Amino acid sequence: MFWGSAAAGWAVIAWGVWGAVGQHVDTRPADLVRLVVGGILVHDLVVVPLALLGTWVVARVVPARGRRWVQAALVATAPLALFAYPMVRGFGRLPDNPTALPHHYAANLALVTSAVALAVAAVAAVDALRRRR
Amino acid sequence: MARPSRHPRGDRRGPAAVTKVPARSLLTDPDRPLRQGRYRSPLRDERLAAWLGAGVGVLFGACFLTGLFSHLHQNPVTWLPVPARPAGLYRITQGLHVASGIASLPVLLAKLWVVWPRLLSFPPFRHVSDVVERLGILVLVGGGIFMVFSGVANIALWYPWPFSFRAAHFWMAWVTIGALVSHVGARWTTSRRALGGWGRAGASPPRERPRPALAEADPALGTAAEGVHDGLSRRGFLLTVGAATGALTAVTVGQTVPALSPLALLAPRDPRDRPVNRTAAMAGVQAGDVAAGYVFSVEGRVERPLRLTLDELVDLPSHEARLPIACVEGWSYSAPWSGVRLRDLLVLAGAPEGAEVRVESLEQEGAFRTSFVNRAQAQDRDTLLATHLDGDVLSLDHGFPLRLIGPDRPGVNQTKWVTRLVVE
Repeated sequence: MFWGSAAAGWAVIAWGVWGAVGQHVDTRPADLVRLVVGGILVHDLVVVPLALLGTWVVARVVPARGRRWVQAALVATAPLALFAYPMVRGFGRLPDNPTALPHHYAANLALVTSAVALAVAAVAAVDALRRRR
Repeated sequence: MARPSRHPRGDRRGPAAVTKVPARSLLTDPDRPLRQGRYRSPLRDERLAAWLGAGVGVLFGACFLTGLFSHLHQNPVTWLPVPARPAGLYRITQGLHVASGIASLPVLLAKLWVVWPRLLSFPPFRHVSDVVERLGILVLVGGGIFMVFSGVANIALWYPWPFSFRAAHFWMAWVTIGALVSHVGARWTTSRRALGGWGRAGASPPRERPRPALAEADPALGTAAEGVHDGLSRRGFLLTVGAATGALTAVTVGQTVPALSPLALLAPRDPRDRPVNRTAAMAGVQAGDVAAGYVFSVEGRVERPLRLTLDELVDLPSHEARLPIACVEGWSYSAPWSGVRLRDLLVLAGAPEGAEVRVESLEQEGAFRTSFVNRAQAQDRDTLLATHLDGDVLSLDHGFPLRLIGPDRPGVNQTKWVTRLVVE
């Protein structure tokens, strides 16, 4: 199983690399590799340390009984913020196309993350009531 | 070999009471170097890793298959013509492509969070297979992050790179899916065991099976998971990631599911606006280009080449069809279009039966200034050269004076500002 799937998988990887190199005018392999490696480095050297710092701060600051709910709220809202970030900053906004990126994304992100945080708080409250009974 | 749990299940001691670990563990237990015995998480769990891995696998698999379908639409091949029906097929597949790509953001991050201590496993390689597996994981992590990042940036119209998004996203999809295949094979046995042997004849559902000793199942993930803590449990974490995925989907998928449009607060498009991807100004098409001098022609392998003014086109029999505009970026909307049937024009020009057509735009440059209409699409009753949308004359941004609209086609192939058909 291991070697069979490794052979198949690496054959497909080789096909992808071959295609990217063959179409080098469009894919610009050096720039592509730079972005792929950059993604790994950003994850390992920025995202993970920040997340570790976050968990450490939560463990230190938040009382034990509410800790998991604060963690849940952070885990649920962080992807929303990451996803919306380019739109909040308006990186891709086109002045002559009002139908692209039509919303006020900063306000909408605040609204959505607040709603998610409220939902987590509601679940926490229900859980606390159930435990009290 | 299983290491004994330092904290029996049910022990509710807080972080301050955690026993100091031997110095040797700082090297052999990947959870230790950064935790230093002060903080323990239950999330470095093989079963959790397997569930999240299954989630990533399903989402990436859906992205890959729907992406191939989209690629086939944009790069047609004669030996595998895309069908003209069902009319909304591309709308569904590309909506699924983008929705599953968005959904994979929280799942991929959660998966990486659960397994990242493996990066610090020591020694990193024991066998040749470890080298192969680790290289594959490196490719999978790099490819996965690239695919999700580039896809999310693309739908936000943000291109912080110098290469073609389409070409890079397509070839990196192969690289990523290859690494996924390799990884699935490498983790198949341990993942199935971790998931409780689902799929095996006579296997019990996971909840009823005793959890295997985690340290035995996977030394890199085991020991810390046995600890007790005050944070999210494994199940709580999994449910939260599921909820995050659901929330992200709920606030974006309305760009293609009309019923959820009011909720689509973070979607890059609002289908109720009848959005366009490329305006006339962006395409360099001026109102003057389509004024009095406009002529539409049908050329190529025809008996009677046609040259028609806009008035002559509008006088031809008109047909109405409700068809979706389905963008490669995942947004779509259906609308009533009306205009001349493509097949009627082909008959008028004396094109041979089964002809295929290249449609050309007034647009001078751009990857999509022409599009290809295969035999089935050309003969479809609803493939139109539309002059009206919603009963009104097309606006310049929607392709005035004439645009192609047909069933089961990506928006980029619904050529705007059409000026010529070339029968091939």
